[in-house]
Amino acid sequence: MNALKRYWWLILLAAIAVYPVIGKPSPYRSGLLIFAGIYIILAVGLDLLMGYTGQISVGHAAFFAVGAYTSGILTAKYGFSPAAAMGVGVVFSATLAFLTGRPVLALKEYYLAMATLAFNEIVVTLIIGFEGLTGGASGLRDIPPFTIFGFSLLNHLHYYYFVWTVVVLVIASSIAVVRSPFGRALIAIHSDEQAARSFGVDCAKYKTRAYMLAAVYASIAGSLFAHYMGFIAPDDFGILTSINLLVMLFLGGIGTIFGPALGALFLKLLPEITYQFQDYELLINGIILIVVLVFFPRGLFGIFTALRNKIVPRMGK
Amino acid sequence: MMEKNGHILTISGVTKTFDGVRALDDVSFSVRSGDIKALIGPNGAGKTTLLNAVSGLNPPTKGSVLFEGRDVVGLRTDQIASLGMSRTFQLIRLFTINNATVLDNVLLGAHMHLRPTLLETVFLRGRIKRQEREATAKAMDLLKLVGIEKEAHALPGELSFGSQRLLELARALMTGPRMLLLDEPASGLNDAEVEEFTRLLMTIKQQGITILIVEHNMKLVMNIADDIIVLDFGRKLAEGPPSAICANPDVIEAYLGAQSKECGVTQ
Repeated sequence: MNALKRYWWLILLAAIAVYPVIGKPSPYRSGLLIFAGIYIILAVGLDLLMGYTGQISVGHAAFFAVGAYTSGILTAKYGFSPAAAMGVGVVFSATLAFLTGRPVLALKEYYLAMATLAFNEIVVTLIIGFEGLTGGASGLRDIPPFTIFGFSLLNHLHYYYFVWTVVVLVIASSIAVVRSPFGRALIAIHSDEQAARSFGVDCAKYKTRAYMLAAVYASIAGSLFAHYMGFIAPDDFGILTSINLLVMLFLGGIGTIFGPALGALFLKLLPEITYQFQDYELLINGIILIVVLVFFPRGLFGIFTALRNKIVPRMGK
Repeated sequence: MMEKNGHILTISGVTKTFDGVRALDDVSFSVRSGDIKALIGPNGAGKTTLLNAVSGLNPPTKGSVLFEGRDVVGLRTDQIASLGMSRTFQLIRLFTINNATVLDNVLLGAHMHLRPTLLETVFLRGRIKRQEREATAKAMDLLKLVGIEKEAHALPGELSFGSQRLLELARALMTGPRMLLLDEPASGLNDAEVEEFTRLLMTIKQQGITILIVEHNMKLVMNIADDIIVLDFGRKLAEGPPSAICANPDVIEAYLGAQSKECGVTQ
């Protein structure tokens, strides 16, 4: 039974792999799961920055935009292959995070929140402003589907597997990060920055590294998004998107990696359950959120671990 | 690296002002390598301010701090720590976020030796895991040394107050320091715990680690200190071996008072 406690995620992995075979989802259904996967990548990255390093960002969608637009522009206008464009986006986002990280992350709490919010707004404004390159407010169209070694992922099931492979890699590498000396330094910064410094942690450097990693994940998510949609517009990357990410973090259980992933999945699939209530859809979404947050402060993952520990009793520590 | 006269730490003319108030006023002294030096004085005398000035948490306004012959004023706290100077805090400051355990806290002490990079962490898992195993073995040894190894996987908040102090000490030792700054490590400990702690400090001293300790418990100070410095209102009031400090009328008036009888206690 203890094995079940340790390797429960294997069941999840199998479910992801088997679902299209058994469920035979419509393009709409697999589309929902593709979006959920993309948002999981975003949320997990933000969790590294917020849940582990303790640095709030209310503008994480900025890097989502950078990835999406780099991919979109380079493939639609300059004939880059999608994989190469994604790579350029990653390098670009990491560089941008590196350059802005130090000054922005020197701020704390509300000031940091305001600065990241402003960063999001600046990126969106620049996208709208550089109309010739980005298509401006009316959006960028004709982004080709993703191809790997010349093999086009036009089929929604192929893309489903592609996106979820990335999701699994992102979660696995995030777990590796947080359960390592590197992750320990992040947690120390989150707990007590001065004390962390007293033990040799260069806080500015480690905060910036966490920021860069979150930016890289967001950029990858952006590229995946652009190629799936074929059309992107500034609205997809506004502050509302950033705030939605925060909701996913808190709903799922911040600082747990799996929690924000669960939060993203839940929030993206929720419309499937609530759409039948039509006009009341938003109201019901809101009520579910409030109920979870008020009664389960550790979020969906907290509920999940509580249930798991009930089924598989703790065998000491 | 060591200075000729065998002083590991030399503080000269250290002044610290907060909004015009002189918390430290032209303080100078040095610590011999291998000694336990005690820093005593009334509350508000500037003892913690001095430790913070040395460790870089709150750098001095004026003056120099030579650690192994190198002026560390102006270096960042993490840089000074990496030179081989570690510390504990008067108000316990353990890492508690994300269910960080007792063992995690000690392991953070290895940070300056591991200096993990992000790329290594993601792509060189084998190497990181090997380092982690070695560090864990060392951390467990230190927890055993301070006597809380059974609680390695507990959360720091679940430990007794005394054990939390011991954990802070283990975390500081994990850095492999040549010098330890201890800020009232025995405050809040009961008599039995203080005795245990005294033995522990002597063991640490025998390993060749120099200690600068701020402490109010005069019995503890008299038992372990090779040398004492007394601060009062940010100034150095007296400095010398324990016997001389005990007999110093200024020190008795400013600080020792009723505690002066503790001065006679030796083991």
